[in-house]
Amino acid sequence: MNDAGPVLAVTGLGFSRSGRPVLRELDLALDAGRITLLTGHNGSGKSTLLRILAGLLPPDRGRWHIDGTPGSSWQEVRRSLLQRHCYLHQQPYLFDATVFDNIAYGLRRRRVPRREIAERVARALRHVSLEPLRDRPARALSGGEQQRVAIARAWVLRPRLMLLDEPVANMDKPARRRSIDLINRLAEHGIAVVVTSHDPQHGELRIRRHLHLYQGELSERRLRTEAASASH
Amino acid sequence: MESLGEAGIQALRLLLTGDPALWTIIGISFSVSLRAILIAAPVALLTAFALAYARFPGRRLLVALFNTALSIPAVVVGLTLYMLLSRAGPLGDWRLLFTQDAMIIGQILLSFPILVAMGHAAFQATDRRAWETALTLGASPWQALLTLIHEIRFGLMAALLAGFGRIIAEVGSSMMVGGNILNHTRNIPTAIALETSKGSFAQGIALGLVLLLLALILNLALLTLQGRGEVTA
Repeated sequence: MNDAGPVLAVTGLGFSRSGRPVLRELDLALDAGRITLLTGHNGSGKSTLLRILAGLLPPDRGRWHIDGTPGSSWQEVRRSLLQRHCYLHQQPYLFDATVFDNIAYGLRRRRVPRREIAERVARALRHVSLEPLRDRPARALSGGEQQRVAIARAWVLRPRLMLLDEPVANMDKPARRRSIDLINRLAEHGIAVVVTSHDPQHGELRIRRHLHLYQGELSERRLRTEAASASH
Repeated sequence: MESLGEAGIQALRLLLTGDPALWTIIGISFSVSLRAILIAAPVALLTAFALAYARFPGRRLLVALFNTALSIPAVVVGLTLYMLLSRAGPLGDWRLLFTQDAMIIGQILLSFPILVAMGHAAFQATDRRAWETALTLGASPWQALLTLIHEIRFGLMAALLAGFGRIIAEVGSSMMVGGNILNHTRNIPTAIALETSKGSFAQGIALGLVLLLLALILNLALLTLQGRGEVTA
């Protein structure tokens, strides 16, 4: 487990859409091996922030440090973000292929040798308990299983930061519990994790930090455990 | 004048006995149209992708222009190309008139708008999450584009078939810039036009049967592939 320091630090992050500010001069640092909960109302900009941190959306401004290294241009920063971070949509998109091929997708793009791909995908399938479904068409799986495939597909790339957009929304209890367990294990593997939600109740999710996005500004909120111990 | 039934029977006989003149015409048709679609397709599909995914001024106008170009008669394309390629035309020095290359250029111009319009519709129907997922998993923009093409392969195959269907059957452009020269630029549609004008309906119908047979084979192939897609989706 790597708790060395921030995997990502950004200051003065700003983003506007059609002239309306969505994110206003945000400062944010994310540590390895920690789960950060990001809450906010629908349309508050949570997904926008995640997509910027994933390198999928260019911000208007911001100064970046990725693993301690300052980024000079957005092009350079974007390349680093895309290489090191993985973003999962609220309903993950699975390619029209088998579970194995979905999980192997990123490894193949990185030209990992075939034998190593087979080993890493097998490990990822064990990690998400989906070994029997290895050769099934990914889109034929249930919603919860599809999400586990998407998590395995990202995890197998050993990302520094995983950005999960509403990962347990619309799930039944067993699927939710399994997903939460998986997310906790991502952090145990030293991955920084950001989870968005409009609902701060996340049961067993081992949240180390709670940020709230309101009118384009981030504020630190006390964790429920801290609030409970302060009241005693 | 032969009856339709007699012409049909004679047509089948010509096809099955491997009439060399007939098969040369069929060979020229396929060779020209396949080369045209192979050259047009990559550029047209990239254009379609850019129109669906990029945001730039004039994008909607371009889409409207490509959709309008779907209705251009082949003979107008042929006439324009003829004026450009004729000795007195601006491209006369290229000496392409009445060659297969001129026919290929005409067919590229005819298939391009179909490929762009249908490709654009297919790319527009894609889920943007597919593009973002490919990128976030480390794909380069080119690799992400190939992934997207794989995701909408059936729609793109339908576009290719429609484009190929139009050019293999067009007569106007091939006649004007190809010149209908035997063993050189005579393809199925120009041969049908010639045979009909001479009253030789059997060869005309035989060639027509080849076109229909080709369309049937291509469509059956697409349906089979799509069927497989449904099973695995």
